[in-house]
Amino acid sequence: MRYLLSIILVLVVSLPVYAVNFRELFEREFLSKPWTIERAEESTCIECHTSDLMKPELRNIPQEWKKSWHYKNDISCDDCHGGDREDKSMAMSHKRGFVGKPGYSEVPDFCGKCHIGILKNYKMSGHGRALRYTGTGPNCVTCHGSHNIQKASLDIIYERRCTQCHSYERAKAIKQALFDIEDKMGRLEEDILSLRAQGVYMDEEERELFRTKAEFRTLFHTIDVNLIKDNTEKFSERLDAIDARVKDTFKELVFRRNYSIFLMLIFIGMAVIISVISNRYRE
Amino acid sequence: MWKTLRDGIDLRIGLKDLIETKLKGYRIPKDTNIFYTLGIVALFAYMIMAVTGYFLLIYYIPHTEQAFKSVQLIMTKVPYGWLVRMIHIVASSLMLIVVSLHMISIFIMGSYKRPREVTWFLGGLLMLITLTFCLSGYLLPWSQRSYWATTVTTSIPTAFPVIGDYITRLLRGGEHVTGVTLSRFFALHVAFLPPIFLGIVGLHIFFIWRIGLSTPGFSKSAQHEQPWTGYRRTTYPESYPFYPNFVLKEALMITIFFALTFFIISFMPNFFMPEAANTPANPFKTPVHVKPEWYFLAPYQLLRLIPNKLFGITIQILLIILFLLWPFIDRSEERNILKRPLLLVLFLVLLGLWVVLTIWGRYS
Repeated sequence: MRYLLSIILVLVVSLPVYAVNFRELFEREFLSKPWTIERAEESTCIECHTSDLMKPELRNIPQEWKKSWHYKNDISCDDCHGGDREDKSMAMSHKRGFVGKPGYSEVPDFCGKCHIGILKNYKMSGHGRALRYTGTGPNCVTCHGSHNIQKASLDIIYERRCTQCHSYERAKAIKQALFDIEDKMGRLEEDILSLRAQGVYMDEEERELFRTKAEFRTLFHTIDVNLIKDNTEKFSERLDAIDARVKDTFKELVFRRNYSIFLMLIFIGMAVIISVISNRYRE
Repeated sequence: MWKTLRDGIDLRIGLKDLIETKLKGYRIPKDTNIFYTLGIVALFAYMIMAVTGYFLLIYYIPHTEQAFKSVQLIMTKVPYGWLVRMIHIVASSLMLIVVSLHMISIFIMGSYKRPREVTWFLGGLLMLITLTFCLSGYLLPWSQRSYWATTVTTSIPTAFPVIGDYITRLLRGGEHVTGVTLSRFFALHVAFLPPIFLGIVGLHIFFIWRIGLSTPGFSKSAQHEQPWTGYRRTTYPESYPFYPNFVLKEALMITIFFALTFFIISFMPNFFMPEAANTPANPFKTPVHVKPEWYFLAPYQLLRLIPNKLFGITIQILLIILFLLWPFIDRSEERNILKRPLLLVLFLVLLGLWVVLTIWGRYS
């Protein structure tokens, strides 16, 4: 018996000896296929673009992409550039939809494959018209960048960027017009995330907020101050309706907490009563 | 009215006699402590799980498209559905803590020794079934956390050569965790496990009732125990009746269990339900940190630490077999663990290791 116990003790104590960074090995061995994002990273696009054979200016594209909002949302190389990321021989084949790098004036249509509403409004805007007629107006990349694309925010509009082509007054007026709605949307997003963390998944409200945000930002791309101001009230009403439902849910959570505190106190009271009765039967 | 009803029942089944002989006549040793009530608290927790589970079944839909939505419907639209689900979630974790404390106290008090080896074995089986209940129930909300935790957990059998892949496919109903897995786990959770569990609980209680409660190995009365040579009902030099004395102690612990459940629901509602548990499952988006529930963190962390996965899984199975059959392996007559320093050290090391691995797994 003593020998058996000693063997178990030695075995248990010696286990941590093997503990040297085996997390990756474990995760790879215990999942029959690599995880989604790893699959994206294992693409032939990345394999070539990170190799020494690639031109230096194209070699840092994967690193930039990994910092982007697209990466966080599982948007990979082939989603924009086409081709086949899993088949090296067909990776850049036009038969697999490869379009490569778009020309400067082709960028809006390139991005607009997914951002349809924004493309429509951009094309009607001064920016879009300038690009169409002169070939030199700002395109999507001018403000959003190419591979290291971040989540859109009002910070994109700032004096140094806008004054490269024109004065800042109009851009400033648009930024001010956008501010309230953007602020409201930001707060609502935080509230919905907070509710989710507390166990309430507001699917409908989250979708409605996403739709409102997309439509509002689409509208912004017209860069028409009056149009934005005219529609602000409409968007504000939509956001207020979501906000009212979110506030109701917060109130409901307060009720839930108070109700369970009430139940807890009932059981504490019962425990005290039982304890008193129990003491009478001690002897 | 009440007297008429009571007399009516007594006339037919002899209720008074039943209370006198089976409840008041059933004796409990005076050396017992509060840990002896943990068994009934665990049983009561199971009953809570069953009752809340029945209510959840009314609205839950075991389909990948509907499971998460139906759970959210319970949480937001069904009157007091949130309360039923929160009790189901919190009580399940507390129940595992109670069951673990029950097993630990039985071990420390040496109550698994002859003639109670089978009682321990059945209790061990019940703990394993409880963990299977938790594993199968965990997938049902079809959340991001439950989906990926199940993906990791069901991958573990692949460590076995030859049959490993087959076991994983059998659990999942295919290569990946899909709607088939959800159906299988649902059936396991609500149809297959409950009758097996109830059968073993019945046997477990029968053994306890037939043999009688043990006394702690380190108590005075344990030192005067006669060697067990043949069946006899355990008698105690000093004892008190099961009803009302012991029943009141049990009732006290059950109310404390309820109070603790509502304390967690009131002040720490997310303690057993992190954010990923409230996000719908997305098989195409792996979360940054995939982790099983807290009760599987220790074995999970152990598997991560051991480089060879077959070795890792084998050592865990050996530990489970050792745990189940311990009373048959440890044949020493000595019940007082304080007089067995090697066993005490081994037990404390294992317990400490389990706690450290759980915390390590949580924060690694």
